[in-house]
Amino acid sequence: MSGAAEPAQGLKKNYITGLREAIDEELGSNPNLVCFGEDIGALGGAFGVTEGLMDKYGADRVVDMPISEAAIVGVAVGAALNGKTAMAEMQFIDFISCGFDQVVNMLATFYYRSAGKVAMPVVVRGPAGAYGGGALYHSQMNEAWFCHSPGLKVACPSTPSDANGLLKTCLRDENPVLFFEMKELYRKPQIEEEIPEGHFVPLGKASVRRAGGDVTVVSYGNNVYHCLEAAETLAAEGVEAEVIDLRSLVPLDEEAIFTSLAKTNRLVVVNEAPMTCGFAGEVIARVCDQAFDLLDAPPVRVTRLDTPVPWVKPLESYVLPSAEKVVAAVQRVVRF
Amino acid sequence: MSATSTSATADKRRTAESSKPAGAKSLLTKDDCLEMFRQLYLARYFDVRLIKEKKRGRLRGTLYSSHNQEAIIVGSLFGLRPTDWISPIHRDMPCFFLKDARAGWRNPNRMGMSIQEVCCQVWGKAGSPGRARDNWSHIGDRDKRIMHSTSMLAGTIPVAAGVVYADRLNGGDAVCVTYNGEGSTAQGVFHEAVNFAAVHKLPVVTVIENNQWAYGTPVELEVPTKDVADRALGYGIPGYIADGQDVFDVYEKVMMAVEHGRSGKGPSIVECKTFRAYGHGDHDDDRANKYRSQKEIEHGRSRDPIAVCRKRLIELGYIGHKDTTAWPLAEGKNASDATNEDFPAEVVEYLTEGIEFALESPLPEAEEAGRWVFKENA
Repeated sequence: MSGAAEPAQGLKKNYITGLREAIDEELGSNPNLVCFGEDIGALGGAFGVTEGLMDKYGADRVVDMPISEAAIVGVAVGAALNGKTAMAEMQFIDFISCGFDQVVNMLATFYYRSAGKVAMPVVVRGPAGAYGGGALYHSQMNEAWFCHSPGLKVACPSTPSDANGLLKTCLRDENPVLFFEMKELYRKPQIEEEIPEGHFVPLGKASVRRAGGDVTVVSYGNNVYHCLEAAETLAAEGVEAEVIDLRSLVPLDEEAIFTSLAKTNRLVVVNEAPMTCGFAGEVIARVCDQAFDLLDAPPVRVTRLDTPVPWVKPLESYVLPSAEKVVAAVQRVVRF
Repeated sequence: MSATSTSATADKRRTAESSKPAGAKSLLTKDDCLEMFRQLYLARYFDVRLIKEKKRGRLRGTLYSSHNQEAIIVGSLFGLRPTDWISPIHRDMPCFFLKDARAGWRNPNRMGMSIQEVCCQVWGKAGSPGRARDNWSHIGDRDKRIMHSTSMLAGTIPVAAGVVYADRLNGGDAVCVTYNGEGSTAQGVFHEAVNFAAVHKLPVVTVIENNQWAYGTPVELEVPTKDVADRALGYGIPGYIADGQDVFDVYEKVMMAVEHGRSGKGPSIVECKTFRAYGHGDHDDDRANKYRSQKEIEHGRSRDPIAVCRKRLIELGYIGHKDTTAWPLAEGKNASDATNEDFPAEVVEYLTEGIEFALESPLPEAEEAGRWVFKENA
């Protein structure tokens, strides 16, 4: 155990505590759950998500894996094929590219290939996202790869209680889930909050983080906070933004978006992945397909530039979405 | 000598010899040996008949022939327990109906697929275990302990490791036999999976069907060592070498690996030396006669597994030279030369039952294509 002080019961908790308590609770209540990942046992995970869990549940159920992402996912699939629930940790979600085949071809398609006979209760989770100077290979948001692979659910919480409630839901889901954790939020003190006992957040249910009648701003993950910051700036200008946190991308809560648009008729979508074929484009496409009449202005995306994530601060900031970029996008949409 | 010697100078053949359980071969009764012979015919007939069905226009899709490699399939499966797992790939189609075939080919409770199910899969019918959602060998049955493969070679090995890892957590002692070509051993995931299995001493038996050709690439461009079994040295595990034309030798070497795994000593590699009779798939048959020399093909096919088995059974006194009515001379015959008279009647009858069933079976409903992407949670 590290010396990091953890908040006591009933007090405000950070995002990483929300995750750890979710895994702890599920390991305790589901004797079939087995966790595989690099350094998740003795070390407790590179970021400490699984701290103390090997001591509590044994090295057989919290398994330190070799540096072998394909084996981490493949072994989790095999365990699930033989009746287990499995959690596979990617040390950074960037590294999932090394296990990509096992995720999209073996895991995602199992239920389909077996004609509904073999479900895959497997959660592949890991720290994702930029804004911390992690450079090209410790900053990625590659959720779109998996949204584009039928058979996978994709979740991305932005708060400690969502991290906790969503992860428990995913660990009880009978389908494979890609779980994107925002490492820049792991220990962010400003977002600490109480997590109610027995808290669960369903997949496919968005959350309205801020109500407003002038424009709908849809986002998820770390960008939710950039949107909220932008909304404060815009409020000073007399523009009230409604900020929707999707929380899960597959399944997607289209109703929440349409309901908000019925009120605002204007849409900005923000994601920190690159623009081309990113999830923001998918949200806009669905709105155009199903709710075009609700739009009074062309929808706008705020995304990372179509570049890798560079290292040093000025470069990184240049390519990523920011509150300022969201403000500019909203102004464009509102003034149309 | 320790079976897990990692000495660079260790002779793996002697390593294998020294860990041999006493009298593995002697565990086989005369009836067992004759049943193995019969299964060789069945595997060969499956291949011959499907090629004929395709030529007659009654079958679509690519065929991946196991001709000349049947001893590996039969010999590796024969000694397994019903509760053991297997993960066949494209050239192992007979594995699906030969698993636990000792319990009776038509026994509905045996831990293998019925010939009807396998034929429904080949013909793309709704009676396939996967309802014809993916093709050829991409089927499995968890209840029968047969793993589902994809087209990504060696991708089944980590899954096999996970399966037996879970089994061990449950207190079981099941072994998983995975089938792979020599070319698959060049995949990164092969290393990841065998490495993990070795670290945790998991009973994963990796059978390498070294048929000398990975599609159009010869083994020397896939593997830098003379024997693929040498891969085992890097993991500190046994690397057995079997004569892939000899069903009894394959049986013996696989059983050594199986017992090694079941007793908690960990994984093994069993390289079975053989030769691919035709092309990679039937679409490649013509080209395979060009990128491989006639001399090489003739040499590679000179020891037909049916002939090798017959010779041994005659030596053992289990059959006579002239028993060619019960045991017809199928050896050496391509699908174009072979007829039903070249196979035991019960073999022809069994497969015909499967084919007739498949031909009369319905296709899956088109609407099924959108089903089973996600499971509705209970």
